[in-house]
Amino acid sequence: MINSLKSLLVGLGLTVVVQLCSPNAALAHGEKALEPFVRMRTIQFYDVEWSKNNLAVNDEVVLTGKFHVAEDWPRGVAKPDATYLNVSAPGPVMIRTERYINGQPSVSSFALKLGGDYEFKIALKARIPGRFHIHPFFNLHDAGPVMGPGEWVEISGQTAAFVNQVKTLDGAVIDMETYGLANGFGWHLLWIALGSAWLIWWVRRPLFLPRFRMVREGRHAELISPLDKTIALAILVGVPVFVLAANAFADRQYPNAIPLQAALDHIDPLPPVVNSGLVSAKIQRTEFNIPGRAVTLFALIHNGSDQPVRVTEFATANVRFLASGADGANQQNTQNTDAGVAREGLTLDPPDAIAPGETRALRITAADALWRKERLDGLVRDADSRLGGLLFLVDPTGARHIASVASAVIPKFK
Amino acid sequence: MTVTDLKSAVQPYAGEKARLSRAYDYLILVLAFFLFVGAFHLHVALTVGDWDFWLDWKDRQWWPLITPLMMITFPAAVQAVLWPNFRLPLGATLCISCLLIGTWITRIFAYHLWNYFPINEVLPATMLPSALVLDAVLMLTNSLTITSIIGGMAFALLFYPSNWPIIAMFHVPVEYGGAQLTLADLFGFQYVRAGTPEYLRLIERGTLRTYGQYATPLSAFCAALLCTLMYPLWWWLGKAFATTKYVQNI
Repeated sequence: MINSLKSLLVGLGLTVVVQLCSPNAALAHGEKALEPFVRMRTIQFYDVEWSKNNLAVNDEVVLTGKFHVAEDWPRGVAKPDATYLNVSAPGPVMIRTERYINGQPSVSSFALKLGGDYEFKIALKARIPGRFHIHPFFNLHDAGPVMGPGEWVEISGQTAAFVNQVKTLDGAVIDMETYGLANGFGWHLLWIALGSAWLIWWVRRPLFLPRFRMVREGRHAELISPLDKTIALAILVGVPVFVLAANAFADRQYPNAIPLQAALDHIDPLPPVVNSGLVSAKIQRTEFNIPGRAVTLFALIHNGSDQPVRVTEFATANVRFLASGADGANQQNTQNTDAGVAREGLTLDPPDAIAPGETRALRITAADALWRKERLDGLVRDADSRLGGLLFLVDPTGARHIASVASAVIPKFK
Repeated sequence: MTVTDLKSAVQPYAGEKARLSRAYDYLILVLAFFLFVGAFHLHVALTVGDWDFWLDWKDRQWWPLITPLMMITFPAAVQAVLWPNFRLPLGATLCISCLLIGTWITRIFAYHLWNYFPINEVLPATMLPSALVLDAVLMLTNSLTITSIIGGMAFALLFYPSNWPIIAMFHVPVEYGGAQLTLADLFGFQYVRAGTPEYLRLIERGTLRTYGQYATPLSAFCAALLCTLMYPLWWWLGKAFATTKYVQNI
């Protein structure tokens, strides 16, 4: 019995030690924690592409993609008057060297227009070796982050080899990794030395009990010597004079210093790409079969183009449901991203193409465990249980039509 | 005055009592060190937070207002204990030193080694000059009122000029992405983090726009006024929550 208990305890101990020694890597950025209606009906990413996912320190990778700003923006989410296209990474393992929105260089936040179409390009330069999970994502003012599809990036090489030089408007070329470091250390060390000297000046004497007793006996005047007062006076005069002199010197040394910049960029949306008019889709009803993990959209699709079109994909919150026979190529190369893809997860009733000029009532069912895995099934318990997403339609010539759709969701619990 | 003179002037004990008394001093100092490193550091991280974490949050309007206002708190409370009871004019310097130790530990270990930020991007602010002056004012005046007014104002007014020699070089302009940025802004753009957006960085908001572009002095004087009120508030908090009843029988 005792031996069994000992074995059990040793086993438990070993388990704890092994768990502590091999912690699981954090593989996500909380993207599934955000309420589904925010993920589905705010920023709708598509065509997200990485130029490569294996690079060495100092190499650059270019992240490109597009996004549509949903027309059916949730009432509970602040309107996108200030947003920032960011990169989610475990610290600055890569630095962002460039960012373009609709071809325009952008370093600040900007406003988005509801229903607007945008494309982006972000250049990232590898800084820290390792394997990292990186997403494009949007910071939305008063709403929080909305993630785009992520990608594992492998960086090789040595941290010490990383170089990041920048030329200032004064003409100086500086190394961002070390600029101002010695100066900062120097000032901190100086003040720490002076502060420590003041502390040591007092701490080297008997402190609490003797002083407390003398104060209680009314002998507090004896506890402060004339020299103490002289030093305090020197501090009172000397420190402000020194501080103001150093401040004036810094002013003279950097006469062109400017305040931190707070301007927002102004970026207009592209000409309509999604809901561009040729093909339109309206969702009349949406049912969410909870146990079957299937969402059925009852859509009314009008094909105004001169070619027959076929629904090939429904994409929402970085999850893609592909119709039977669709290879996913209706989005640009997204093989590298880790967006959840349900191949043959989309069924159409009736399945045949929509003829030019035809308006078709179509029953589109997106069924896959991804609804559960990506925590999108919580939609039915949201305060705003409406669904949104992008429908991709393709004609025989390869032309692509995208419709941003939205609808209230009716749950089916059995 | 020699060290021996200083010690003998403040030593009503001799022999074993003196030795035990000194051991008690060290015990309290060590405990106080860890208490202030932890508690004050947590207080500043929760209240000043990003303004002290990042170069591109150290603006000329909010940073000089928030930082002294939140950092005069513990110094005032600790002075309320150490000065009336022990005539030790080191409460402010002790608190700020402990804060800096905690801050530097986290900047190096958490921000730099764990999260890869270059240390120059996360240089902390210093309030040691302000703390030294606050201690000196209390010692020389022995007055809560004067220390609140003169010391509190000095604490706030000295903050920005004390730190400008550290951060001025990060305010050199650079052209980037078709815009003019400071190097500090560029750190925020290049070294990616979740809290980059301008709308999170509270910079230059408000109505201080009609005084000839001098935002910093206005913020500093506003902080000075508020510090004169914050100081006595925290002095009384320190006084209310500290007790010497365990050493009454010495």
